[in-house]
Formats: sequence, C-alpha cells, structure tokens
Amino acid sequence: MNAVYNVIDFLLPFEWTEFQFMKNALLAVLLITPLFGLVGTMIVNNKMSFFSDALGHSALTGIAIGVLLGIDNYLASMMGFALIFALCISAVLDSGTSSADTIIGVFSATGLALGIVLLSMNGGFSRYSGYLIGDILTVQPEEIGLLLGILIAVVVLWILFFNPLMLTSINADLAASKGVHVRLIEKMFVLLVAVIVTISIKWVGILIINSLLVLPAAAARNISRSMRSYHGGAVAISMLSGISGLILSYYWGTAAGGTIVLIAAAIFFLTYLLNRLRAR
Amino acid sequence: MKKWFAAAMAVFFLLTASGCAVRDSDPPRFRIVTSFYPMYIMALNIANGIDGVQIDNMAGQQAGCLHDYQLQSKDMKNLESADVFVINGAGMESFLEEVAAQLPDLEVLDSSEGIELISEGGDENPHVWVSITDCIQQVENIAEGLAQADPDHALEYLENAQEYEAKLSVLRGKMHEELDDLPNRDIVTFHEAFPYFAQEFNLRIVQVVNREPDSQPSAKEMADTIRLIRETGVKAVFAEPQYPESAANVIAEESGASFYFLDPAVTGENDPDAYLDAMEKNLETLKEALS
Repeated sequence: MNAVYNVIDFLLPFEWTEFQFMKNALLAVLLITPLFGLVGTMIVNNKMSFFSDALGHSALTGIAIGVLLGIDNYLASMMGFALIFALCISAVLDSGTSSADTIIGVFSATGLALGIVLLSMNGGFSRYSGYLIGDILTVQPEEIGLLLGILIAVVVLWILFFNPLMLTSINADLAASKGVHVRLIEKMFVLLVAVIVTISIKWVGILIINSLLVLPAAAARNISRSMRSYHGGAVAISMLSGISGLILSYYWGTAAGGTIVLIAAAIFFLTYLLNRLRAR
Repeated sequence: MKKWFAAAMAVFFLLTASGCAVRDSDPPRFRIVTSFYPMYIMALNIANGIDGVQIDNMAGQQAGCLHDYQLQSKDMKNLESADVFVINGAGMESFLEEVAAQLPDLEVLDSSEGIELISEGGDENPHVWVSITDCIQQVENIAEGLAQADPDHALEYLENAQEYEAKLSVLRGKMHEELDDLPNRDIVTFHEAFPYFAQEFNLRIVQVVNREPDSQPSAKEMADTIRLIRETGVKAVFAEPQYPESAANVIAEESGASFYFLDPAVTGENDPDAYLDAMEKNLETLKEALS
C-alpha cells in the first residue's frame, strides 16, 4: 500500500493528496467509477435505472437485519438481502402481471420502508443516516482491495459474456433463437448489479448510488456513435466526474458523493446540448 | 374472490384491533414523563421508592440527544396523561412549542433553569448535564419542581435528591482529584456535547468536529483538523459511543493522536446509576488519554 501512496505523492503533489484518507478516497474512486460506468451502460440499455435504485433502497433493510441479528459487519446482511430482493423483483417481473416500473416501485418503497421501520424500532436511526449520503473519506485499505477484486471480476465477466449480454438486451427473442440462455443471462446481470450496489453503498450512499450508475452511461449515450465509444465514454465520464468531484469537494468543503454526482449531471447536460447541436 | 377479500379484510381489522387494547385499569397516582434519557436517570433517582409514582421516558433509551427528534403520536398520548413533563431545556427540546400549543395545561419542568449557558455563534449549547456541577443543579431543580407538584411527598423527593447529589458530589471530587494534575489539557471532540464538561474539568476543546452529528465531516474539515492537531500537539481525539466513529478514527490515525470514546451519558441502561457509571468510565478514559 505504501508504494501506491508514494506513487500518488509523486504524481499528484497537491494539497488535497497530503493525507492518507484522501489518497484512499482517490483510490476507491478510481476503482468504483469505472465499475459503475461499465455496468451503467447495460443498465441504461436495459431500461433498468429504476431497478438499481430499488436495490440501493433495499440496503437499508439489509442494514436493519444486520442490526437485529447483531452482526457487526453489515455487508453480509446487506448482500444476502439484496440478492434475495433482486431475485424477487426479477421473478415478479417475469410473471408479467404489472408493468415493470410499477413492480419495481412497489419493491423499492417496501425495501425503504421496512428498513426505516426496523431501524427506528430501537430509536437509533441517526446512527445509520451516514449510509444515506455515504462516506468515501473513511474507506480503508482492505476495502480498497475488495473493490479492486470486484472490478477485476466484472471486467472478466464483461469480456466473457459481452455478446450474449448485449444480444439479450437488444432483442431477447433473437438471443434465444441463437441459443443464448436469456433467463440465465438476465438473472446473472441482476445479481451482478446487486453485488456492486451493495458493496459500494457504504461509500457512495443510498440516496445517490443510482445517479452514479445511470448518469455517466446516459451522458456517453448522448454523444457516442458506436458500442465501443459508448462503453469507453461511460467509463471516462464516470472517472472524470469521480476524480474532479472528489477534488472539488475537498476545496469547497462539501460532501464528496453529492459533488461527484453534480459533476456527472453537468456532463450529462453538456452532452445533451452537444447532441442537440449535432442533430441540427 | 369475494371470500378472499373478506378474509383479507378480517385479518386487516384484527391487526388494527390490537391498537384498541384496553387502558391499564389502575392508573398511577402521579405520572412523570421525562423528555429523554439523562432526565429519566435523574428522575429515577429523585422519585425512587415514592408511592404511586410512575416515570416514563418519552424518547427511547437509545434515542440519544433530541436533535431533529420527530414527535410521534404515542409521545403526545404519553404527555397527555402526564402530571409533570421534565425537560432539559436550553433548546434541547425543539418540539416544546408544538407540545405547549397542543397541551396548554401540561406542567413543564425546565431542569436547566438558573444554569449559566455556554453559547456558540448565537446558539445556546443544551448539553448541560454532561458537567457534574450542572447535573447537580438540574437534580435540585427537578426535585423542587416535583415537590411542588406532588406536595404530599415533597420531603421524600428532596431527601432522594440530596442523597443523589451527595453521590454526584463525591464523584466530582474524585474526578477533580485525579484529573486536575494531568499534563495535557487540549482535546478534540466530535459533536458538541462536551463544552460544559470541559469547563468543569478545565480542559481546552481545541476543535469540535462535526457539530451536527448525523452527517459525516467533509474532507476539508478533516484535513484542517488533522493539521490543527499536528500543530497544537493535541494528544487525544474523543468521539461519542452514540455515533459512528470511523471519521474520528481516520483523524486520530493520521494526526498521531489517540482515539477514545467519551460518553455524554445520553443512551444506556435504565439503571439509576447509569450516569455515575458513565462518568466513572469517562474518568478512566481521560486518565489514560491525558497523561
């Protein structure tokens, strides 16, 4: 870890990298943002942005369950609940009884309300309000290692399964006729989203995690003309807003997560205007 | 289909019916409701063993300070039948006006009356009970108030209070004896609960990080605090057990100071000695942190 810190000191000898917690935050941002940019492209393709939001909300229930079970590390309970939650949403969606946004809305509200009720039962809700806005400044080196592992796993999955994922998202029937296990691919992607949302929620925050997934991909979609530039653009925009948001939050004295999202939103509107101008 | 609906409605009504439980048949003679945990512990001591007195704590024992406390319907119900509402005052109960508007006849007992408040930037700091001297004053105020409101047992309240005040006073003496000669007086605290405590034991709070406890400090605030600790040579950073400590940990680690918990006795067991125990523990912590 010290070698990495030395590299940062050498490359970025600025005021904001003076302290280790900012170096840790920078490393975490460098790992989380490409992850979110990449997965976000598929979320935007599949019109699932509301789904990942619901997953974020379910994290509150996951924390509450962890508290009730007396687990110190809420990651396990959050992960368990998020996976079950994701599969439930996916199963109800498959049954086709209501439209997707209604079903996801129902689950999203349930996850949030259940979390609030369970956590307020003991009257100590303010302890957990940190999860709402996230806290990237307290990320620890071992947690950065975990993020690195996830990023590598997602990139490997992407390389292995990109074609079936893409085909499924464009046209499920076509994909099925080509011998793709559509259901399996869909479920796998849903679980993947659940895993990365849960792992990063502590640092990104329940309220803004979804914007970080959706905004970079949406912005990249505005200006990209090929699949490659779409993915590359999403990752680049995500990293750019992550790093600049972190730096600005340091000098402005604002919350890091919110600043990052604001930058991403600004980029989205910029690309939207570019797209409009180009269409003329 | 109709049958199912009827069954569902039946279940629904049964569930709601649990809210119609019959009231306790034997109401207590005199009901004291306290606003939050520190007041509750004081009241437990003052009304100890007095016949027919029931003490209820409005906010739960884990609620902590009443920052942004949302009144619930059960709180209003609780207060409606109260003979006395014991509050900390000094702005801690921000919902008091709302309560007074709805329950104009409620007897409110402000325990911080006559205590000199520390104000910061125009706002008065309400955490008076964390200083033992002020806590004794609050116990005195509450006992006198209760003695007036329940005159038949006035003497018992005052005797109980005297007994508790004696215990507090002994503890205060012991803490002065053991803390007054420690070499380091500069500390950094999280949340603004300790000015009265620091005043009492002649500690200098160099910096309060994160005044509003329900959010995390910004990067700038953390960096400034780390620099300040390095410059001033502060040896200890104190967080409260009621709030997440991760940011305090990071600051302590990077500045070379040590990290400790200091308990403002605002959550805990419903035990009359809870405040005394918390302060004993703080004493041990401070002895280690400041020597």
